[in-house]
Amino acid sequence: MSSHESFIRCRGVTKTYHKGNTPVTPLSALDLDVPRGTFLALMGPSGSGKTTLLNLIAGIDSPTSGSLHVGGVDIAKLKRGQLTKWRASHVGYIFQLYHLVPILSAFENVELPLLLAPLSRKERHRQVQVALELVGLGDRSDHRPSELSGGQEQRVAIARAIVANPALLVADEPTGDLDRESATQILNLLRELVREHGKTIVMVTHDPRAAAVADTVLHLEKDRLVEAADLNMQAA
Amino acid sequence: MLPLSYAVRNLFRVPARLLQIVLGGGLVILLLMLAAALSEGMDGVLRSSGSEKNIIVLGTGSEESVERSEIKASVPSELEAAVSGLEEVLGRAAVSPEIHYNGLLTLGGGPGDSRQALFRGVTPAALLVHPEVRLVEGTFPRAGEIMVGRLAAHRLGVGEEAIKPGTQVKVGSTTLRISGIFQAPGTVMEAELWADLNDLRAIGQRDTISCVVVRLDSATFDDVEVFTLQRLDLELAAIRESDYYAKLAAFYTPLRIMTWVTAGLVVAGAVFGGMNTFYAAFASRVREMATLQAVGYSRKALALSLLQESLLASLLGSLFAAVIALAFADGLSVPFSIGTFLLRITPGILGLGVLGGLTLAIIGTLPPAWTCLRPELPAALRSA
Repeated sequence: MSSHESFIRCRGVTKTYHKGNTPVTPLSALDLDVPRGTFLALMGPSGSGKTTLLNLIAGIDSPTSGSLHVGGVDIAKLKRGQLTKWRASHVGYIFQLYHLVPILSAFENVELPLLLAPLSRKERHRQVQVALELVGLGDRSDHRPSELSGGQEQRVAIARAIVANPALLVADEPTGDLDRESATQILNLLRELVREHGKTIVMVTHDPRAAAVADTVLHLEKDRLVEAADLNMQAA
Repeated sequence: MLPLSYAVRNLFRVPARLLQIVLGGGLVILLLMLAAALSEGMDGVLRSSGSEKNIIVLGTGSEESVERSEIKASVPSELEAAVSGLEEVLGRAAVSPEIHYNGLLTLGGGPGDSRQALFRGVTPAALLVHPEVRLVEGTFPRAGEIMVGRLAAHRLGVGEEAIKPGTQVKVGSTTLRISGIFQAPGTVMEAELWADLNDLRAIGQRDTISCVVVRLDSATFDDVEVFTLQRLDLELAAIRESDYYAKLAAFYTPLRIMTWVTAGLVVAGAVFGGMNTFYAAFASRVREMATLQAVGYSRKALALSLLQESLLASLLGSLFAAVIALAFADGLSVPFSIGTFLLRITPGILGLGVLGGLTLAIIGTLPPAWTCLRPELPAALRSA
């Protein structure tokens, strides 16, 4: 992918961790450029490092070496506390299993990121309501996660991810736990967030149907990224 | 920072666990309160029993137990004549000859119905040196009579009906009629039985008395001590009443230490029990905590929220302990060898319980909270 006006730029990103005494390197000297407003799907076999890369881009984890710029900030250089603050305003994370707080209502779950921002209660409530309306759950704000379907829970999770208006959304198998109809709704919603709201989305998926919604599909194969088109060529 | 409502709701997430924490913590806090009340009550009664203005003149070598002391019955008049500046009330010097006697009191039920009791043989002059003594019912004992302290029934382990005025009791083989009830708030005297001095001399078959208590006006302790030193033939020693009871209080120090050590051991056990509960409670929330970190909450903010939960639980436990303590322990009489005192659950003791509970909560929460928040985020987000 072109490095021109990259929103995400990885250079020589390596991640090594230890399983007991054995070093494991799921990512080695990886380069990647993602322009702003792109919907990127990451695919690849289990253990190929997709989620590791996603976590690095989201600031959940830090690379062992290399540089990783997101929106102009080299997050590889940020310390744990700085990364936490950066995440609060720059990235929204969508999990496969939603990760909603069970004792909080949909409204309160969505409100969580905003409690970290210097906003008035009124402004917070307005933004939460807008986010819930955007995901089509304006009328479910008082419901707890246990009172929602899987698709609705994921939409609450998406509302939570977008409520602080981050430029980047990362999604780890966002449709992996949903039926086909709900999965389609979620993917359409993500697509809409890119097209109409200018978000950049990086999504890890095993599902080719989900990947088909993305602008770009990259496969992680043996420590390197291969574009889907390239793969097709190799296959031919 | 997470709102307090998050901590409150988490507290009620598993009601059975909340109940366990509140009741378990509450009982430990209750124990702390009772240990403090016990220690303070015992200290207080011994401290209040001695007046700075009173000097006890007793036999040499008996400074630590007036019950063992024997002095001549003539000492009070000789002392009164030799030392000027003693307090006088209506022309009578505040000089009280006394016999302190620990013996058997036989109640109405016959010889089998006997109790060990603390007797004091006195004359009306006792009221001049012990102004805190007030008759609440009946009259001061004359010959053949005895009056009982307000807490004597508790000390004897009998109902108040058993020693009400008019009742006949036996001391040794002598029958005495209970003439009245007195109070002397916060002193060991409230658990005693006061009889006429001569009656008690007869009962004890002694010519001597135990001591003389004098109340100073312009005289000083030295004036009294000089008398005891000049009259070597009488083999006397003088001690301030406050010092005498301070020595007795020191005698009970090991008991107080044992009380606190026991309470400390229970508290230590409770800390580990509490930790265990919180480890279990927080272990199930590792992923939730990781999610909140992913959203942008710092570990510090989350640790504070977890701490809020346990502090709230501790406050509920303290409330439970305070209610139990005030309902069942406040005002309870506790007998010990030289008297009886009332347990008082004061604001200070309630405060100590709350403070102890909060300390327990902090110590019992931080290690489990650290265990919950320590895992690396990628691993924590994948946890079950």
